[in-house]
Amino acid sequence: MSMYPDSQDFEQLRRVLALKRHEQPPPGYFHNFSREVIARIRAGDRAESSNVLARLFWDAPWLQRLWAALETKPVIAGAVGVACCAVLLVSIASFDGNADPNTAQSVAPQAMEASLGFTDHSSRGSFFEPAALADFQLTNRFAGASSQGSLFPVQPVNFIRGN
Amino acid sequence: MIMAEPLSRKASNPIGEPHAEPPPEPIAEAELVKRVRRGDLTAYDDLVRRYQERIYATIYHMTSNHEDANDLAQEAFIKAFHALKSFKGGSSFYTWVYRIAVNKTINFLKQRKNKTQMSLDNLDFQVEHDPAFVALISDKTPRREVNLAELQEKLNTAMQKLSEPHRLVVTLHDVQGLSHEEIAKIMDCNIGTVRSRLFYARQQMQAYLSDYLK
Repeated sequence: MSMYPDSQDFEQLRRVLALKRHEQPPPGYFHNFSREVIARIRAGDRAESSNVLARLFWDAPWLQRLWAALETKPVIAGAVGVACCAVLLVSIASFDGNADPNTAQSVAPQAMEASLGFTDHSSRGSFFEPAALADFQLTNRFAGASSQGSLFPVQPVNFIRGN
Repeated sequence: MIMAEPLSRKASNPIGEPHAEPPPEPIAEAELVKRVRRGDLTAYDDLVRRYQERIYATIYHMTSNHEDANDLAQEAFIKAFHALKSFKGGSSFYTWVYRIAVNKTINFLKQRKNKTQMSLDNLDFQVEHDPAFVALISDKTPRREVNLAELQEKLNTAMQKLSEPHRLVVTLHDVQGLSHEEIAKIMDCNIGTVRSRLFYARQQMQAYLSDYLK
């Protein structure tokens, strides 16, 4: 015989406890339950994939230390700024030094026009073409430069009328 | 329980012809687990539907709070999904997910200690026809005019006075009807421990509910 009587002494208690089986969640609760679980799993997966990049870049300890140092010490922030400018200047200078002058001459006007939005040479005249400047009286202040090979394929313009 | 015959079957088979197609057999649990491991969320939805009521009920009877039970049951299933790769199949998925839910609930209750706030589910209308309730209000019971809501509250308060392991054993055995063996697997202990916990838990419950059990 067992040391712990199983049911006989507790029959009435067991009946009362069985009443708890009648406690039920609101109607329809289980219809949505699995859907919510699956939605939370999907949401968790999405959040995790976006966190990978954040962890890679932002949560990197060296980056956090650098950022903290920049925030707390203006001297370091200034030094980093100066270093960035220096790197920029050096890279510009080295580009100028290495660049082929002929290439530079042909590339620069195109680059300037492109930056101004006048890239389509074939369909319409360039802003720097004489046809586009018919109304302006032109003065050749840069004649010398043009004879040496100007950056621009047209003559420079003086925009003051009536001279 | 007597199940009503489905209406569709009656309608499609009025003269007793053999059924054209038997209802599809439920997919085996192991097969569903395999599919989930391959990333099939539909299969996991199926698994959740199979066990959601039992898992929810266990947690609810442990916490006596619907909102907590809802959160914990969802979290248990989410944790089970993510941990499924480490599931070795030594036990059934059912026992395994039960264990996750129980551990989660016990951890929650330890953190919540002494902050019990009950949010009880409603009793369904069948309770008044339950033999247990009928017996309780019979002539043998001194408190004939027992109020259902009051009884429910007393019962839950008494449950909350038990320690977590004792409450769990009472919940699994006396409320949910699991066997000692199943409880031992879920609680990861031997059957003797389950029996002794059940005995002491019942003794305490009997003392707490003495007014109703005379």
